[in-house]
Amino acid sequence: MSDKLVLALPSKGRLMEQCARMLDAAGLVVKKSGSPRGYKGEIDGMADVEVNFVSSSEIAQFLKSGTAHLGVTGEDLLRETMTDCEERVAFLKPCGFGQADVVVAVPAAWIDVRRMSDLEEMAMAFRRVHGRRVRVATKYMNLTRHFFAHKGVTGYRIVESLGATEGAPAAGLSELVVDITTTGATLRANGLKVLDDGTILESQAHLVASKVAAWTPELRRVERDVLARLGTLRVDE
Amino acid sequence: MPAEAAQQVEALEAQAQRLMGTFARAGYEQVAPAVIQPAGLFLDVVGESLRARTYVFTDPEGEELCLRPDLTVPTCRLHLARHASGSVPARYCYSGSAFRYQPGGATSAHPNEFRQAGIESFAAADREADDAAVLALIVAALRETGLKRFQLRFGDLGLFTALLDALPMPARWRRRLRHQFWRPEAFRAELARLTSQTALAPEGVARQLMDRLDPARPEAAPGIVEAYLDQSGLELFGTRTLSEIAERLLAQAADARETPLAPQVAALIEGYVAVKCPAREAAAKLAALMRPHKVDIAAALASFQRRLDLLDAAGVDTGEAAFSAEFGRNLEYYTGFVFEIVVEKLGPKSPVAGGGRYDGLLADVGAPAPVPAVGSCIHTERLLAVMGGEAA
Repeated sequence: MSDKLVLALPSKGRLMEQCARMLDAAGLVVKKSGSPRGYKGEIDGMADVEVNFVSSSEIAQFLKSGTAHLGVTGEDLLRETMTDCEERVAFLKPCGFGQADVVVAVPAAWIDVRRMSDLEEMAMAFRRVHGRRVRVATKYMNLTRHFFAHKGVTGYRIVESLGATEGAPAAGLSELVVDITTTGATLRANGLKVLDDGTILESQAHLVASKVAAWTPELRRVERDVLARLGTLRVDE
Repeated sequence: MPAEAAQQVEALEAQAQRLMGTFARAGYEQVAPAVIQPAGLFLDVVGESLRARTYVFTDPEGEELCLRPDLTVPTCRLHLARHASGSVPARYCYSGSAFRYQPGGATSAHPNEFRQAGIESFAAADREADDAAVLALIVAALRETGLKRFQLRFGDLGLFTALLDALPMPARWRRRLRHQFWRPEAFRAELARLTSQTALAPEGVARQLMDRLDPARPEAAPGIVEAYLDQSGLELFGTRTLSEIAERLLAQAADARETPLAPQVAALIEGYVAVKCPAREAAAKLAALMRPHKVDIAAALASFQRRLDLLDAAGVDTGEAAFSAEFGRNLEYYTGFVFEIVVEKLGPKSPVAGGGRYDGLLADVGAPAPVPAVGSCIHTERLLAVMGGEAA
């Protein structure tokens, strides 16, 4: 284990770009160290910080296990990865980007299903007719279970979906989905609608500290330095 | 699971042999259902709450499998593999591992890998007699291992069903209330909805559509709904059919025209659910509760009483047994008599044995029609812990 503060940042996509802009605006210059294709980096003038570029879901894993001290990733992934989220990480700062709602969506033609309570009743009838439970395609298995239980919906089954979840009902892989959406356009294009009380989480990217990482007084000092730079910044969309 | 002391394994083994001996002498055939089960069927039957605690994995061919979270469903499958109709009477006993993820960490009272010793009886015609026989045998097996002090806790979903059947309301309302029985909050919400005219009115569905749906003419509904979807540019896809949507809209239209449940009827249902008393006083207490409402569930009460008498005759003292109308084990598949055996040392949250009647499960697993079934299993690690404590 290095004695540096490990900062995990998104390695690709829009989140990476937005994150780079946020750090830029704070005057933190992040550079790849070693090979330009490598996954390690450093911050100019902060020799005690080691940057790891990894995928957003890996960042959540890193924070969960304490492999990283700090990280930037979506609240949806953090809450999905850790059922005991508040005990393992501290949410330091919402970043103002990466907005996405995790929602329950059903075929828009289901005009009889508008709320979660309709879903439970519909699921009961579905099982009588088809002899099996209604399937929910999602990559958010934990968020789905928790939310459905909270709403008293039990008569369903989760099928894990690792991509193009919104297409699962039309493909016959599930009857409904729990997916992320920003404008709802993708859901609509796939003939789906969000239930009235079906918003599970209004998520965005957060700067997060791991509570289980190996913190030393020295690293806490480094953390304060990083936060002081980021804390004063204003994010313009 | 942490490595076990050889002594513990030996003690469990010896205890299992005694339990199985008792079951076998009573005429139960010993079976060993597969540990690895098809996830799809299992999870369809047990529901998402147990799914969250079931170890599911994918084999190299992409088949979704699970480690059995209990032995009842595997025993049902084994029975159906032998008799496709399921209706051939059979009695099975088993002793084997079950696996459940414990959120928040496994403990000795709630391990993630544990051994169940149990019995299942299928297709016996006399339900009360079979309920009593199964519980009496479990009690006998526990006594055989040396357990002396324990308490019986009873519930009976048959009584609740009888109450709903005796009250005037549409069949779909009964179905909903029965469905929500296990979930107190949702149950109360549903009851409140059924007593309120405004809550029964459908919201969010186009008036022009609802006005045209006539509960007296259900055959016209799919066509009306189809025309509405076309006109609204909504395309229906997937497994759920037009007639299922039409059926629910019709039910909503019917609900809107229905007289809501009278407040005193809702109060009676809530009063019933709240009943907790010694099992021997339950029938009289429930009869007294029903009398002012002129609600007749005498047949169900007589069955309940007869079961108690049969238990006493079989050597199970019901004088100390407790009855709770809302007592149930949150597995969703129970349909009638349910029971738990608790001991003081472990408390009510960690019963040493439990079971009940589940007349719908064999059909859910593939039988062509419902088959009477009742079963029970003993949590063997807990039993050993109690016996160890008593010996010390």
